[in-house]
Amino acid sequence: MAGAVLVGFIIFAPLSSLVIWSFTRKWFWPHPFPQEMGFFYWQRVLEGDLFRALQSGFLIAVIVTVLTLVLTIPLAYLLARYPVPLKAVILLVFLLPHAFPQLPVFVNATTLLYRANLAAKLSGVVLIHMVGALVYAVWTMTAVFKSIPESLEEAAWNLGASRLQTFFTVALPLATPGLVASTLLVFLYSLDEFTGTLLVGSPFILTLPVYMYRTSVGYELQVASIAALILMLPGILLLVVLERYMKAEYLSMFGRL
Amino acid sequence: MTEDDGMRRLSPRLLSLAIAAPPLSIVVWLFFLPFLSSAHLSVLRDGQWSLRNYALVWRLYKFDVLYTLWISLVSLALVIGIAILLCGYLRIVGHRTVEFLFKIPLFVPFVVVGHGMRVLLAPRGTLNSALAQFGLIDLSDPPSIAFTWLGIVVSLVWKNLALAVLLVLGAYRAVDEAFLEAARNVGASTYRQIKDILLPMSAPSLVVASAFMFTSMLASFSIPLMIGGGESPQMLMVDVYYRINYQDDLGTANALGMVSYLFAMGVAGYYLRTITVKPL
Repeated sequence: MAGAVLVGFIIFAPLSSLVIWSFTRKWFWPHPFPQEMGFFYWQRVLEGDLFRALQSGFLIAVIVTVLTLVLTIPLAYLLARYPVPLKAVILLVFLLPHAFPQLPVFVNATTLLYRANLAAKLSGVVLIHMVGALVYAVWTMTAVFKSIPESLEEAAWNLGASRLQTFFTVALPLATPGLVASTLLVFLYSLDEFTGTLLVGSPFILTLPVYMYRTSVGYELQVASIAALILMLPGILLLVVLERYMKAEYLSMFGRL
Repeated sequence: MTEDDGMRRLSPRLLSLAIAAPPLSIVVWLFFLPFLSSAHLSVLRDGQWSLRNYALVWRLYKFDVLYTLWISLVSLALVIGIAILLCGYLRIVGHRTVEFLFKIPLFVPFVVVGHGMRVLLAPRGTLNSALAQFGLIDLSDPPSIAFTWLGIVVSLVWKNLALAVLLVLGAYRAVDEAFLEAARNVGASTYRQIKDILLPMSAPSLVVASAFMFTSMLASFSIPLMIGGGESPQMLMVDVYYRINYQDDLGTANALGMVSYLFAMGVAGYYLRTITVKPL
């Protein structure tokens, strides 16, 4: 019991500080609690730049998710069902952006995007998000398609369905848990992405993490805290949803090709 | 039937290429190519071949390299140490609430962790404020955890512990209960069960988890940016950013980037060696 309380304190301490700050109007050191509380800053931010940043981030995340799924689902099916040459290499390529430090690479990538006239634009930010997001969809969907017994698809072929038909009516519906997981993982990744957006999006495209960084170093702690809390909400949703699927046992094979 | 004929007419190789090309090309264009160009840019200065960038890195940043390694090693040691014991307890005795609580940091974005820790651990932050109420802190000279290496370590540990718990607990759960029962029958305590059974049997998974987390800690950017404080020393990624942003020095920034890649490759090499050695 005491252990749970201690753990609860450790987990929630930084988060609760954000909650307190977001409802603060005035708080001067060394008072333990804010002198004035209220929804003042919530009202201010929901009308201003924060809302715009939230909208941009959300829109970008949706576009990134849709594009990523469209591009990776066929590839994942291919990798799961057919003997693709260099399969391990292909899977590892998508892992590269997470295996090496992103910042220096993205610095150079920004230059490439400027040359293609895509930097400081929505499309550029979408692309830089996809670089890191693709792995979540490819690896998840490949594993999911592999876990669907081929005999189920064979049954459909035997009854006269074409491969394309079978894919859409048998494989894809059975892969729904994987689809849900991939969608949420990619969406969350894009919403939370910071490094690429900071480099590529500046100065015109702002997402919530970049906005949060700007306001927090500017000592607008109330605004930054509100932004931080809003940014956490999709994550909490993902946590609740994945709690049903993400058993620790499934991850015992993580990373072992 | 026309769809099927159409797909048979199209060479399967061509179709595979058409399917694989778009996602792969994004990663190649915006990661692989820029990664390679770091090597090229790092030996360029004012348009000419030069090793001056690396000389600058040595002169300006060698302490920051050590600083980064230090923070990453301390954070990793803490994370793995806590995870090994905690997950042993969770595996053998079990505690669903604690297990759930530890999933929460997984879904808190890095920037939020950075900001939250800053608000909590700053000299005039909420933690000191709370401790002051109990008379534990002198208000005129509050200790500062944020803006120091300790603040970064706390943040990295907080965030990575969730992942570590997930991976280590998964590895522990893959160990057959029969082994633990046998140990319990001869009187092994929980600690002995962890040390002599769970730990050795899940060592490969622990190595993978450690390699992954160490690389990500070395390369952390948003957390040290928010909680690291304004002055030297800084973690490497912050140095790269400042070099580009304030000095516009692409050459040295890439040279520093190359140094960070070397560390990451070293860790990756170690990971690959571990998983390709077949266990007896």
